[in-house]
Amino acid sequence: MKEQILQVLRDLRIYALSKNVEATFFYHEEESCLMRFANSAISLNTNEHLIRLEITAYDKSKHASYEMITDLNKLAEMKQGVDIAAEMVKHVQPLNYQPTVPVYPETFIDESVFDAALAGIASDERLEYFNQAVAGLETDEIKLSGIFSSGVNTTAQINTRSEHLQYFKSTDAQISIVLSHITLKWEVIAEQSAQKKTDLNPFAVRRDLTFLLERYRHDAPQQLPLGRYDIVFGSAAIGDLLTMMNYIGFSGGSMKRGFSFIAGDQVGRKVFSNKFNLTDDPTRPETFPFQRDQMGISRKPFPIFLNGIFNSFTWLQDDADEFGASPTGHTVMHKSLVLGGGDKEAATLEELVNLPRENDLLYIPFLHYMNIVNPSKGLITASSRFGALLLKKDGSVAVPYNVRITQSLLDIFGDRLAWLSRPLVVNNTSMSYGARNPTAIVLPAFLQVNDLEISHSNSTY
Amino acid sequence: MRKKLQKQIDRLMVAGASSVDARWYPVEETSQLLMWNGNLKNASSSRESGVGVRVLYKGAWGFSASSNTDNLQALFDKALDNARVAAKRVTFPVRLAGKVPIRASFTSPNRIDPFAVPLAEKIAFMKELDGQLNRTGVTQRICELIFMRKQIVYLDSEESEIEKNIIEVFPTIQVMGVDAQGESHSRKFSPSLTGATRGWETLDPHLFSENAARIVREMNEVLVADVCPKDERSVILLPGIMYLQTHETIGHALELDRILGYELAYAGGSFVKLSDFGELRYGSSKLTARANATLPNSPGSFGFDDDGVPAQDNVLIDKGLLVGAITGRQMVEEANDRIGKKIFSGSSGANRATAFYRVPIERMTNINIDPGSDGSLAEIVKNTEKGIILDGDKSWSIGSNREQFHFATDIGWLVKDGKVTRVVKNSTYKGETVKFYNSLSAVGNKSTWEVRSVDNCGKGQPNQIMQLGHGVPVCRFDNVTIGE
Repeated sequence: MKEQILQVLRDLRIYALSKNVEATFFYHEEESCLMRFANSAISLNTNEHLIRLEITAYDKSKHASYEMITDLNKLAEMKQGVDIAAEMVKHVQPLNYQPTVPVYPETFIDESVFDAALAGIASDERLEYFNQAVAGLETDEIKLSGIFSSGVNTTAQINTRSEHLQYFKSTDAQISIVLSHITLKWEVIAEQSAQKKTDLNPFAVRRDLTFLLERYRHDAPQQLPLGRYDIVFGSAAIGDLLTMMNYIGFSGGSMKRGFSFIAGDQVGRKVFSNKFNLTDDPTRPETFPFQRDQMGISRKPFPIFLNGIFNSFTWLQDDADEFGASPTGHTVMHKSLVLGGGDKEAATLEELVNLPRENDLLYIPFLHYMNIVNPSKGLITASSRFGALLLKKDGSVAVPYNVRITQSLLDIFGDRLAWLSRPLVVNNTSMSYGARNPTAIVLPAFLQVNDLEISHSNSTY
Repeated sequence: MRKKLQKQIDRLMVAGASSVDARWYPVEETSQLLMWNGNLKNASSSRESGVGVRVLYKGAWGFSASSNTDNLQALFDKALDNARVAAKRVTFPVRLAGKVPIRASFTSPNRIDPFAVPLAEKIAFMKELDGQLNRTGVTQRICELIFMRKQIVYLDSEESEIEKNIIEVFPTIQVMGVDAQGESHSRKFSPSLTGATRGWETLDPHLFSENAARIVREMNEVLVADVCPKDERSVILLPGIMYLQTHETIGHALELDRILGYELAYAGGSFVKLSDFGELRYGSSKLTARANATLPNSPGSFGFDDDGVPAQDNVLIDKGLLVGAITGRQMVEEANDRIGKKIFSGSSGANRATAFYRVPIERMTNINIDPGSDGSLAEIVKNTEKGIILDGDKSWSIGSNREQFHFATDIGWLVKDGKVTRVVKNSTYKGETVKFYNSLSAVGNKSTWEVRSVDNCGKGQPNQIMQLGHGVPVCRFDNVTIGE
């Protein structure tokens, strides 16, 4: 299959050259399976096999793109796509900057994060994983929801400037398991990310669910008073906050367009707590990385924040072209973010709960429906969800109704950042919009931020 | 192709399936143009075609899709295999509400096919607008045009055969500027849907010119405005934010699959319970909401849903009382069974898929608020003692059961003793859904009612983006917290 893909791309390149069309070709193939659960049943079991081809034609400072869902055996259709893109570019207007057309110095093939066993996982195995993860936990009132999403993702690129290709193939799985009470409406969740089949561990998921269920089944929920709390965020919440920061923080294009809370002159300055170390690290297989970006730039570990000091914006090639910046190898479908750990020995929820504490701690594992209130201030808002706990200083644990926080990322990761877990975990941040694009962030299991305000507190679920 | 699909449907029925349907997309096209500060950053088109197959077997769904239609037998068999595995974990065997088989077609009303308009003409339209937005105070100018065309052929094992040809146009202009404190602010305009059609002809240059000048003026007013106060007062929501309030806290809350727990693993549930229908005072007596898929000019109108059920106009909230939900065939049967009585009489025709490779789920159509009897915007303002007028969908965040919310808007105008006093920036409001709608104290008349389109409503796993609409008037709510 790989050779067929590469040959089709070579054929398209030759065709474009024969038509005097300057072009880049981006091939994306996904074999996606998703088993979805609701009300303790399988509500959907689906397969999609889709091949997308994006052709971008260039004419000096003009470019235009044509994308199709196609098949490898439809070369003639793909060639028509070249003709369409070439026709489109005639009619678009020039940019006021010169877009860079990539030149690949060598052919680069990377299948290091492909696992044949995970690629071949069957529907029955996905079902068995769920059955093991929730064995004995469901009742007439506590129902199972969730997904087991897995797939194979293949991307490949070629262009008319060089004969070399880039080819990446990966496997991924994203599991979310929710147990919810059908009348009381509370929910608890456990998640897992896998790059290879041996990463799958339903018993670890079951351990987390069991621990949360013990609290939620037996403790009466309470409405928290509004005010300021020391908050421990779980890995999913941290992942969401970092994903948002990727958008309104260290993206060079966002900064130039006034959509960032970090200004251009803050490079080299302290922005966050000295405990905060964030790197884009494509050597981490858990992040489904790209070792080359789409421009052919070799990607190495790229520090973004070191001890809270802002090291560099990340630049898409197009933004770098427009704003006269140097590209940083970030023209990729996703980055490979790694948030460095701290010194707190807490890897599991049970270990967190058992840590000695001087104050009450509000544990928020998951932030629901986060949105940007004010990008210039890094101000976001979101609600807690899925198994929040109030860890009281006397060692007891209570169950709170959900709360809303409206806070700046500058405060969350600034001097109020008290500690981070030493053990790192993988948070799968994949969205299933559009083309498959498995993403994950490596990050501490927990981090604590002191003195954050909750602005709304539910009186029910 | 239709005969081949029908042959496969018949074959799976013989193999034991209880329902089979296929959606064949001979063509789906999207064209997107994005001009940013005069640069045509994106000029792209896409085209796709394929078949999606849904099979019901022993009370469980299986789905399979492919762009390769050369081997339909394998595609249909895969869907059946998926259903067979799903049938190993069934708690409520899927039943489908009854319907009348339909052999019909639907074509969205358009005078000018946007795909027939030359690219150069579209770009000239944007270039003209970009020039009009290039004014003092504006640091970012954005013009975006999105065009969609779908041809969908639906066939099922109940002898339905429906063809839909749908065209949509989504235009937006936006400006951004930076205030003295270094904070960005924006103002945008998307036209309300006023005519009887939805093609290229809806892009009225005069309308865009008027509104380009308006959003530049209003954004410059925001740049020098004071920060929105933090207090409690009446909020008067213009259609530019009322549509989103309706979308998030009525539309999503009343999707029956969400109410039944089918979205819990992802975007969450609904505070609404089955026992609430006919009982819950969702809002004040001034609130009447409906799901109306028969408006001619809106993307929430599509003729027939992807269960093959005709578009309908159903009341959801009648003078404040919750009476209806957004439903497809499956959820109606399950809901009635769970509560032990017939609260839903049939599908409301709202099951839709975003593409051939996604399965249909309950989606909003046009979720509308009926105009009221409290006059024009000016009359509502005149009768407001302490309030704020809000417009523009800057930010939205909803509790996991749609029970509470926080919205930020692009602009606010303070109101005191029946008069608009001044513009404020960073305006926000929050509330609890039922309490909020029960504080609805004024609903504008027909002069304030606008249909807004939504081109990017996300739901489901795998995720689906859907197009729909909201017809909403100006609404006033009392005792609302603002400024947080």
